[in-house]
Amino acid sequence: MDAVDVSEHYEVTAADNSPSLLSIVLDTNPRAWAALDSSLSLAQAISNILVFVNAHLAFSNANQVAVIAAHVNRAVWLYPALQHPSSTTVKDNSGDVQMHDASAETSLPPPSANKYPQFAQIESSVFSSIQTLMAETTVQDLDQLTTQLSGALTLALCRINKAAQALSSSDTTLSNAAPVNATAPPPVKGRIVVVSVSDSDPSQYIPTMNAVFAAAHNQVAIDTISLAGDSTFLQQACFNTNGIFLKAANPRGLLTYLMFGLIPDTEARASLITPTHDTVDFRTACFCHGKVVDTGYVCSVCLSIFCTPPDNAECLTCGTVLALGNYGAKPAVLPRKKKKKKKIANGSGREETGSATGTPRP
Amino acid sequence: MADSDGEFVADDMSDDDIMDHTVTDGDPNAARPKGSKPAKRKRDRNGGSKAWEQSRRTWETDLPEESDGMLNLAGYEAERRRRLLRDTTPLQRGIIRHLVLVLDMSFAMAEKDLLPTRYRLALSYAAAFVREYFEQNPISQLAIVGMRDGVALRVSDMGGNPAEHLERLREYEGQDPSGNPSLQNALEMCRGALFHAPSHGTREVLIIYGALLSSDPGDIHDTINNLVAERIRVSVVGLSAQVAICAELCSRTNVGDDSQYNVAMDETHFKELFLALTTPPVNRTKEQSTASLLMMGFPSRTLAPGGTSSYCACHSQPCREGYLCTRCGVKVCRLPSECPACGLTLILSTHLARSYHHLFPLRNWVEVPWAEAARSTACFSCQSPFPEPPKANKEKGKDEAAPAKAPAKGVSESGRYKCQVCDHHFCIDCDVFAHMVIHNCPGCQSQSQQAAAAAAPLTDGVEANGNGHTTNGGMMAIDG
Amino acid sequence: MSINPSLSLAEYLERLPGTTFKKLYQQPSTTFAIFRRMLPHLAKTFVMRMLFLPHPMTLADLDAWVKPEAKRKKDQSLSILRSLHIVQISAPSKEKPQEIQLMSNFKRSLRLALTGGGNHNSFGVPSSLMVPPEIDLPFLDRYARKKWEDVLHFVVSSVGYKSSLGEGSGPNKGVKELLIAGQLVDRRPNGSLGITQAGFTFLLQEANAQVWTLLLLWLEVLGNNKSSGLDPVDMLSFLFMLASLELGRAYDTNALTEERRNMLPSLVDFGLIYIPQHKRSMFFPTRLATTLTSGGNSLRTISEGSLGLLGGGGTGEQAGSVVIETNYRLYAYTQSALQIAVLALFAKLNMRFPDMVAGRLSRASIRQAINFGITADQIISYLSAHAHEQMHRTAALTNKPVLPPTVVDQIRLWQLENERMKTTSGFLFRDFTDDKDYLDTARFSEEIGVLVWRNDNTRMFFANKHEQIKDFLKSRKKAE
Repeated sequence: MDAVDVSEHYEVTAADNSPSLLSIVLDTNPRAWAALDSSLSLAQAISNILVFVNAHLAFSNANQVAVIAAHVNRAVWLYPALQHPSSTTVKDNSGDVQMHDASAETSLPPPSANKYPQFAQIESSVFSSIQTLMAETTVQDLDQLTTQLSGALTLALCRINKAAQALSSSDTTLSNAAPVNATAPPPVKGRIVVVSVSDSDPSQYIPTMNAVFAAAHNQVAIDTISLAGDSTFLQQACFNTNGIFLKAANPRGLLTYLMFGLIPDTEARASLITPTHDTVDFRTACFCHGKVVDTGYVCSVCLSIFCTPPDNAECLTCGTVLALGNYGAKPAVLPRKKKKKKKIANGSGREETGSATGTPRP
Repeated sequence: MADSDGEFVADDMSDDDIMDHTVTDGDPNAARPKGSKPAKRKRDRNGGSKAWEQSRRTWETDLPEESDGMLNLAGYEAERRRRLLRDTTPLQRGIIRHLVLVLDMSFAMAEKDLLPTRYRLALSYAAAFVREYFEQNPISQLAIVGMRDGVALRVSDMGGNPAEHLERLREYEGQDPSGNPSLQNALEMCRGALFHAPSHGTREVLIIYGALLSSDPGDIHDTINNLVAERIRVSVVGLSAQVAICAELCSRTNVGDDSQYNVAMDETHFKELFLALTTPPVNRTKEQSTASLLMMGFPSRTLAPGGTSSYCACHSQPCREGYLCTRCGVKVCRLPSECPACGLTLILSTHLARSYHHLFPLRNWVEVPWAEAARSTACFSCQSPFPEPPKANKEKGKDEAAPAKAPAKGVSESGRYKCQVCDHHFCIDCDVFAHMVIHNCPGCQSQSQQAAAAAAPLTDGVEANGNGHTTNGGMMAIDG
Repeated sequence: MSINPSLSLAEYLERLPGTTFKKLYQQPSTTFAIFRRMLPHLAKTFVMRMLFLPHPMTLADLDAWVKPEAKRKKDQSLSILRSLHIVQISAPSKEKPQEIQLMSNFKRSLRLALTGGGNHNSFGVPSSLMVPPEIDLPFLDRYARKKWEDVLHFVVSSVGYKSSLGEGSGPNKGVKELLIAGQLVDRRPNGSLGITQAGFTFLLQEANAQVWTLLLLWLEVLGNNKSSGLDPVDMLSFLFMLASLELGRAYDTNALTEERRNMLPSLVDFGLIYIPQHKRSMFFPTRLATTLTSGGNSLRTISEGSLGLLGGGGTGEQAGSVVIETNYRLYAYTQSALQIAVLALFAKLNMRFPDMVAGRLSRASIRQAINFGITADQIISYLSAHAHEQMHRTAALTNKPVLPPTVVDQIRLWQLENERMKTTSGFLFRDFTDDKDYLDTARFSEEIGVLVWRNDNTRMFFANKHEQIKDFLKSRKKAE
């Protein structure tokens, strides 16, 4: 009673109110949206997303958003919209609340008294940008089934990175340029929400994965709500970045999916139970035939994946003559592989393959 | 600079690699390619001080001051650019690595010339190294060996899981360095650890060496011969001064290339040297790499049905989710690993993807002069505004303005950097971020390839920057 | 540890009856502001998740959302939600599980706020008149800062530190009377004004909390004064509306109700709004008003990070300017006479430079502050609220508290020196018949949390409440 309790330490930590930056990547593939039109049109989807954006901004006035469209042939900013070179430059790189440049001023409708000013700004910016985007879409573009997802992710990451730097201004210490300090919490809670309607484009695999690793490195979660299409890459992206992957069985309920599943940011997720990734498809496509394989041959030089050893044991990508490693040293291996190929083709019977190959190994 | 310690000046300053490996280069500013500022030159002329006389504290060297006492941030920007400007020719690299990290834990590590002590600093950087190593090389293996009391000490065994290495490293944090180091003993242990490394992977040893002596039981030259025969490459980062045997060790095991032996000048430089080794090494000769085809499984993640849990074969612990070996169906809980039953290498395809950027690096961006700067007002990727072109300068004529404030090399006068493929302009932060972390060009990725071809018809390859897997692959050279 | 800036507002709101909340939640802007300002993060998430649910959900479902280790946080969030009349939880009963739902008023208004629409005009009617060109953001900031500094100077000058501004530029008479009525300053017998303990508390709060303290005082004073004809609920609602207005935009005074128009002159006095001299029909909210709903430190927003020039909340203090080191040295990068005066209350300042003061915390200086009536908690919360950006940065990098723990502990210990003796009224229990009897009773009193002190050797303990112990002893006796 009379002793001073020395074991008790009074720690003063900054209240955890670091701003949260939400980037929304909206897949705007016209063909896919046309297919979805009966249940959810693009315009409806955008208004749903805007409500979600407003909900995010309502959390704190330090929160920020960015909306990026992943279109068939390019990725563009919807909000904040790219400033045109003609307009006066605003000395303000947040570009968020203080959007006072001439172009924005003139295009804005008179602010309504029934809407939070910031919400109205975002709404008008997103709608006008998407109209320009759709007007610029040509007939040829409609043939594409995929979108520039990797570009949109890269743009979103660049912005989050910039915002984080502006906040932490770690630039006084050069050593921080080297990405080493992975344990310190980032100054900005970055998050990317992808609204996906189309398939993953295999040709974008490497850039998409590069973006995913960068996101994981910067502790940015990538969340996905997939309304249609087969988005394998995004599934892997969510898994790698501890994001949430939602497959919307009923696209009409987009708002509910967004508000219920994706509203918690990284801070809230620490105390909430998040949906688990039950099954994630990690199979990969081989470089030679584009087949999806679960067991393959990898060139040790360039890491190309082949479903069967290539002819002349020469790598198709880098041209290196390959030894068959310690696997193929025995001639007995070759018939085994053929068997395996069939097994893979029908996709089942993994156990049988295992038992068949287990024994002859030296 | 040149009159002080001329013997160490590398005459070809254009190559950043050489700069990095110049052993006791006096002034980092001088070594910065043609970046020496007038203020620095003055000091060098009248001072002529030795490298060790100059303070190496980061707070004094990182932000060079102009003559008027203002911080010269251009120099700082140049430093950031220098770090990311590297050779982007696609080279064959040893992606599947087997590396032994040898840490000096001898009396010499108790020195306090690196703060807090050499030992503590080396251990904390080693932890950073382990993390970064596995991030960069997810399908590689690592082992850690210590040198103390004249013997080699096995800190952690060859393995692919960073958590295990970090855990073992942490155990040594409380201990004090003691005794003599023994290079030979350590190298012999490394030989043993690398003996079973498959031929398609690299065999590397990285030694952090604080002492100036080595107490060996036998002739270390025999060991070196064995290392050469077993094609093990050794790199050494020294902490005090150059030691002849280390130089010989490095140059002999690296086919005469003596750039693998470096001595750290200060904490920052030490970290830089240490972490430089996380990048996969270039395969210089055919013999160093036997290319082979590896059979690998790409298992998908599965959840045990009905919320049940089953034992994994690797740790014998019950877990709900896991990966089934694609050949024998055994369940493992963590990837990458080797199937405990049939020995198949099981990895995630994303692990392979993580290494691709070493093979297909993002091409460097170029500086944008004021003349071209007018067409962009904001960074393409992060939308932060650029400085406006100075109108006054334009009227006066370039030749007057240019020499007055010649920016350091690598720094764009207009604050813009351009990707030569997509022609978009970016700011320095995005430049650094794109090259160091994402390895994507935001501009190229934001337009489809047709659009890129239309926008830049002059560029020969229409493939996006850094995304050259299909078209670029043939250019991969074996530097031999 | 730091005093929650919204505490006083929370206390105020909690005292309000449920019907008042019903009225408050009529307006989307008020709802929006209360949501943003008053709720902890987790509670916000809950509200957002429930916002678009058509039916009430069971409490058990809500429990299933939350990880077991975060149960305390959840309970806290729920109790705040209930005390603010945001959620409704059905009474527990046997046949139906407990259900939770948002109050219909709240739900409707928040939905309206998020989706827009309706015709409530609660986000302010902009003025259609031409905006005078000289009224821009810097102008408004200067104006707000000047007004607020006047108020603070008035409070602080009573300690004897003369303000740098000339006399007669102080706040309006009404504000002065308000400060006196709120007992932030009191009239001494000799006619001069002196600061009170509440005044010190007020001074050491951060800007945002200061504004609220003053506004609540004002509400209270007007509320007691029935003749003013102002309804405190409507006023509060108006304040929340001000918070959701856009900085730098002109709003129409004619769209306001008569009562609200009557409030404007007072708000002008506080510096929350600006009304141009020759255009009385428009008003501009200042930064003080628009940041009313932002929680304390969130002034460090992204835009601040890049702009970094506007003083936090317009108090003339930079958002963070104080550096405190483990050796008790204190540096403040400030030119504001006000902040220097505040610092001088508890630190011994010994150097002053054009833009910086340096000093140290010592036992004597803290003792002096405590004699003024300032508590250690106030000093600590002031220091943490005004900690320099660099302190936050290093704290974030090293995962350590913002203020050095040694200093924080020591400030408290210095305060404890004055409080060596503390009295607790209660009851001493002694003369137990046997050891078991004593131990059981003591344990019981410990379990119910009334035990203050115990000594097992002499079989005595001291508790601050005795009713339950008496019952316990009785029941024991019965059992025997």
